[in-house]
Amino acid sequence: MNDSIDRFRATARAWLEANVPAETAPRDGPEARAFTLRWQAKQAEGGWAGIAWPEDVGGRGLSVLEQIVWFEEYVRAGAPSVLSPSFVGLNHAGPTLIACGSPEQKARHLPEILRGEVLWCQGFSEPGSGSDLGSLRCRATVDGDELVVEGQKTWSSWADIGDWQELLVRSDPEARTSKALSWVIMPMDAPGITVRPIETMAGPATFSEVFYDDVRVSLDNVVGGLNNGWATAMSTLGFERGTAALALLIECVHQVDTLLADCSPRLPMLRARLAGLRAEGRSVLAMNYRFALESENAVPDASGSMIRLAFAEFAQKVSAAAVELYGIDAAQTLGERGWGYEYLHAFSETIAGGTAEIQRNIIGERVLGLPRPPR
Amino acid sequence: MNYGLTEDQQAVLSELERLIAGTAPDGHTEPEFAPYCEALDQELAQSGFLDIAREDGFGPLDAALVVECLARAPQIVEAAASALVGPALGLPVGLRPVALVEHDPLKPARFLPRAGVLLADLGDRVLQVTVDPDRVVPVDSLFAYPYGRLETLDGLETKDVADVATLRRRWRTALAAEAAGCMAGALALVVEHVKDRRAFGRPLGAFQAIQHRLAMAAETVESCKWLAFRAAWSDSEADAALAAAFAQKRIPQFAFDLHQFSGAMGLTLEFSLHLWTYRLRALSGELGGAAAQARQAALATWPEAAA
Ligand SMILES: Cc1cc2nc3c(=O)[nH]c(=O)nc-3n(C[C@H](O)[C@H](O)[C@H](O)COP(=O)(O)OP(=O)(O)OC[C@H]3O[C@@H](n4cnc5c(N)ncnc54)[C@H](O)[C@@H]3O)c2cc1C
Repeated sequence: MNDSIDRFRATARAWLEANVPAETAPRDGPEARAFTLRWQAKQAEGGWAGIAWPEDVGGRGLSVLEQIVWFEEYVRAGAPSVLSPSFVGLNHAGPTLIACGSPEQKARHLPEILRGEVLWCQGFSEPGSGSDLGSLRCRATVDGDELVVEGQKTWSSWADIGDWQELLVRSDPEARTSKALSWVIMPMDAPGITVRPIETMAGPATFSEVFYDDVRVSLDNVVGGLNNGWATAMSTLGFERGTAALALLIECVHQVDTLLADCSPRLPMLRARLAGLRAEGRSVLAMNYRFALESENAVPDASGSMIRLAFAEFAQKVSAAAVELYGIDAAQTLGERGWGYEYLHAFSETIAGGTAEIQRNIIGERVLGLPRPPR
Repeated sequence: MNYGLTEDQQAVLSELERLIAGTAPDGHTEPEFAPYCEALDQELAQSGFLDIAREDGFGPLDAALVVECLARAPQIVEAAASALVGPALGLPVGLRPVALVEHDPLKPARFLPRAGVLLADLGDRVLQVTVDPDRVVPVDSLFAYPYGRLETLDGLETKDVADVATLRRRWRTALAAEAAGCMAGALALVVEHVKDRRAFGRPLGAFQAIQHRLAMAAETVESCKWLAFRAAWSDSEADAALAAAFAQKRIPQFAFDLHQFSGAMGLTLEFSLHLWTYRLRALSGELGGAAAQARQAALATWPEAAA
């Protein structure tokens, strides 16, 4: 067992050393798209795409342990951040299709995702529905064998460069949320879709508003059954919370070591803070490994929320400490590649993909079994 | 120190608030990353508010009130150094905006692209540099201020000023007052937001998780404000360092919390929170940050023990 893992690690390391792109990844726009697809295609050619995905959809069918080893080596080699335009396809839409898609849907979409031919984005949030996702209003009406979509989504990351969107719509205006929504595969070039990028305080415009004006899509594109979209969406939330962030976490833990190396002993308070962060990072990593390995053969439990939350707050502290270490006017801080960007971007860590408060509510109610607040 | 405003102070602040309102950007302008409000800057230069510390019957406390009030506004102008540092170092009236920099006069300084003068803290003295705007190279910054730097001092008029302690003391007071104002402006925006926006059938502000942390934020705003005013009133080294240390220490958590409760909307340029939080972040790093200020406060209060 250990021998084979060691061999896997050595092969991964060798391949990464030879293939990691030398240039840095563009953050947004068509350049980001081209770069991401090229890098994904290269990984697929090398046999490194979909390590833990089933073989029948183009994955390698290996274990979570191998996936973890791959991430470790990936970060060690300085490969492009996994928080890239391919994130939704690989970590959200893909796993949802694996869990709930029909054989045709799987065959149509999963190999494309792995081979780096398409990008996916997520259309869940709306201007009036973020944390309270169940209140979403974007409407879909059945018309023959089609759905007609009307409404708006927002904060959809990389929607401007995406080919497909995992879209959550209200397909039954009367029913309760759990029976009213549908999870739809939406082609982003469908007539009636307008995408407007939104500028953020961190600089690059990586998320967009999306408007749907009489957009028609085949009923075959519904995943997990009409009006069963809530269950379909929830099927992979645990995955996103527990496993998807693992590569990011490993990267962040590495960064703390670099910061410590750069922190002069003449700054004892900052050094102590960074050493504390190192401990914190290792603890989150340990929790995450445990969670990922245990959820291999089971539906991830609610404790994924703990990991998601701990990672988010850890990442924020690391970027704040980095800005403090280098100073707000240093070369390491300024510019698109600087820690200043990371610092500003890190504000979103405790918001995107379920806010810190929502995660705490979940931990309180589902992990600790506390009573729910009065409604 | 008297904790109520005098009639004169009230009159000054209401006039100032009128100026601010008169130059407020209208809601339909394109969202901007780091706007500098020329209109307000010019009004301030003409109206004499920034020279209040030089006037009979007024002093640094009044200047700090002006700085705090201006920082509550979303408009960005250089005011703190003009109102609190310039007069104490004897800069001539009208020589502004004032840029401040530590250690090295060629380092990037905020407001330098628009500054009339740069004051560089060189440790044993202050170097006063009359700035020629054509010589300033703009520096990219993520902190909503125009940053810039000089490539050389050759050919620029410079002058040594001996009193480095005054520069630092007033700089600390100025940053504390500006931070307090930025915090108040940001908090007011977010309090309105959580009253308006609804989730799970009620306003966000009805959730106690939110109420508690906004209550903590309100406590931070109040305490920073009064410490800053106290520092301006006593004009003492220890008070100034303490006020700056306290504000700088509170900034990171404060800024995170306010963004947190504004959700994704708060990260977009369409929501103006960043106009204050960028400034806060820039302020939190000045003069070496909270730890350096705290050490200075200790040194000023217990010089022998610290030696
Ligand atoms: C960088 C980034 C990328 C994103 N990408 C996507 C994407 O690709 N696709 C997509 O669909 N969405 C995306 N989002 C949106 C994201 O899912 C939402 O921001 C998130 O669900 C929170 O919703 P909101 O922003 O409306 O905040 P709100 O729901 O308005 O929440 C505001 C504050 O209220 C708190 N709050 C809400 N309810 C409670 C409660 N019951 N108890 C205590 N506190 C509460 C929240 O925790 C938060 O602090 C992205 C967001 C970000 C920041």
